[in-house]
Amino acid sequence: MRLLARAALYAGLTFAAVTFIYPFLWMVSSTLKPPFEFGTLALVPDRITLENYRIMWSRAPFGRALANSVLVAGTITAAVLVLGSMTAYAMARLTFPGRRALNAATMAVLLVPGQLTLIPLYTLIVQLGWIDTYAALIVPYLFNATAILMLRQFFLQIPQSLIDSARMDGMGELRILFTIFWPLARPPLAIVAIFTFMGSWNEVLWPLLVVRDQQTMTLPQLLTVFALGGGAGTLGVSLAAAMVLVVPVVVAYMFLQRYFIESMAGAGVKG
Amino acid sequence: MPSVSFEHVGKRFGDVGVVEDFSLDVADGELLVLVGGSGSGKSTILRMVAGLESVTTGSIRIEDRDITQLPPRERDVAMVFQDYALYPHLTVRDNLSLGLRLRKVPRTEIDRRVRWAGGMLGLDALLDRKPKQLSGGQRQRVAMGRAMVREPLVFLFDEPLSNLDAGLRAQMRIEIGALQRRLKTTTIYVTHDQVEAMTLGDRIVVLADGRIQQVGRPIELYRSPLNRFVAGFIGTPPMNFIDGSLESENGRAAFVAEGVRVELPVERMPATACSEPRTLGIRPEDLRIAAGPGSGTDALDAGSRGRVVLVERLGGTSHIHFDVGPHRLMASVSGESLPEVGDVIGVQVLPARVHLFGADGRAA
Repeated sequence: MRLLARAALYAGLTFAAVTFIYPFLWMVSSTLKPPFEFGTLALVPDRITLENYRIMWSRAPFGRALANSVLVAGTITAAVLVLGSMTAYAMARLTFPGRRALNAATMAVLLVPGQLTLIPLYTLIVQLGWIDTYAALIVPYLFNATAILMLRQFFLQIPQSLIDSARMDGMGELRILFTIFWPLARPPLAIVAIFTFMGSWNEVLWPLLVVRDQQTMTLPQLLTVFALGGGAGTLGVSLAAAMVLVVPVVVAYMFLQRYFIESMAGAGVKG
Repeated sequence: MPSVSFEHVGKRFGDVGVVEDFSLDVADGELLVLVGGSGSGKSTILRMVAGLESVTTGSIRIEDRDITQLPPRERDVAMVFQDYALYPHLTVRDNLSLGLRLRKVPRTEIDRRVRWAGGMLGLDALLDRKPKQLSGGQRQRVAMGRAMVREPLVFLFDEPLSNLDAGLRAQMRIEIGALQRRLKTTTIYVTHDQVEAMTLGDRIVVLADGRIQQVGRPIELYRSPLNRFVAGFIGTPPMNFIDGSLESENGRAAFVAEGVRVELPVERMPATACSEPRTLGIRPEDLRIAAGPGSGTDALDAGSRGRVVLVERLGGTSHIHFDVGPHRLMASVSGESLPEVGDVIGVQVLPARVHLFGADGRAA
């Protein structure tokens, strides 16, 4: 009886897992299928071809878009980590006039929906003459309130004695942040990095507003323009373009995944 | 020349005074212990020497150099923290050497000092481990090693043993004492544990409410406490106190409280009027008890008596808690034949060893 219940449980779980993974696998396999095979639900193509990728690559500057996306998402992620942790450190561990106000303001930023600031921000970018520039894609995202609050919360838990000890060893605040706090904060930094990178990588709406020049477009933007504009021609080519978008994120996730589990803060203090 | 001197040092956090008018000289090579309860200001004083807290008033000098405004790294002091404060992501070797590398000490000199401290503290085999792979005692040694390799003018210890279990604490206490005598580095040691203070300190500063209560050698504090706070704080088990007053008759004085009368020796005869309230202090080891009722009255003096309420057998010595009139007292006695709970016992005090405190708490 228990065996039966267990079997049913596993069957249910397997079914659920398949429902999630199947469309993705189908997409991967479809990019390798010739056009006449799209109608089937089979996961293994009868004939494997890279034709879809070749067509996609030749019809729009996807290589350039990929480089743009890496540049934009990479810069934003690095900035959010560096500037965010500096802000979080100050808010968590330094005393200065206006600290409470800064905390409250950072929290308040979270409550404002992004769509609300879209128009004013767009107007600002136009006024600055940043349309069709990388600055328009990067600068508005350099600071991230969620990242700051998350890192601040973590930094608050690091024992004061570590900071004291580092100060007596002769470190300044920046050095304490980057040589003591950063190694301890690898798990939250990794989470912030992944979310920031993915958020930026997948962003379509904002690039559509501020970039019209194909050479400056990011990958999802170009993909959207390409697919919706009918440039792809066949489903296989559209899906191949989508693969280019998804692969870097999956790779980044696999690379950073272990930091989610790893937690080493506090290991050197107390018994 | 004193190694560290405090001149009227005060510290306020907002409206709250934490340290008031702290003036003291620490001799070169001395181990000075700051002892007091929580909130006494002892750790704040240490952190002011380290440069981790600003000084509100007064000044601190180390070997004639005013360090009051200097940042921590320029003070030539090293500190051992209560929670060790080892960098969790660095090996023992890197923990020891980081401070030296930041000071641009040559590589060969760093190696020499790390080997020296490692050898002295028995850390040789642990140099490539991370802190989480060490036991509490080993972490404590690494923390001390990190202070030692700096070869500072002054060591600061902030309750370094309070995270260790009792057995290890006693062992590390001995090690710290031995190490300090060997290195002869001026040391300021903060603790709330008066046993640590008594056993380690060349001199002890007893603090309460941010003020110095008494400074002296351990035995001076034990024998001649200047006030009731010091009397109660120094000595284990703590001193017995009885509130009462003095009476004088025919040129002889006696301490009197309900159910208690203790004749005082002539030299303890107070100069001032006798009627004001006094507190009598008797150390548990200065009380003598004898099985069976004493010969005299209820008065606590040669041949008075008490009723036993609790007997704590510690092996070598035992603590006998008993009531004399309304007063609960404790005697610390050695020996095998102990009274039982409920027994009436004879009690004697040694008049020469009693302490008297005035209404203001000062020794009278």
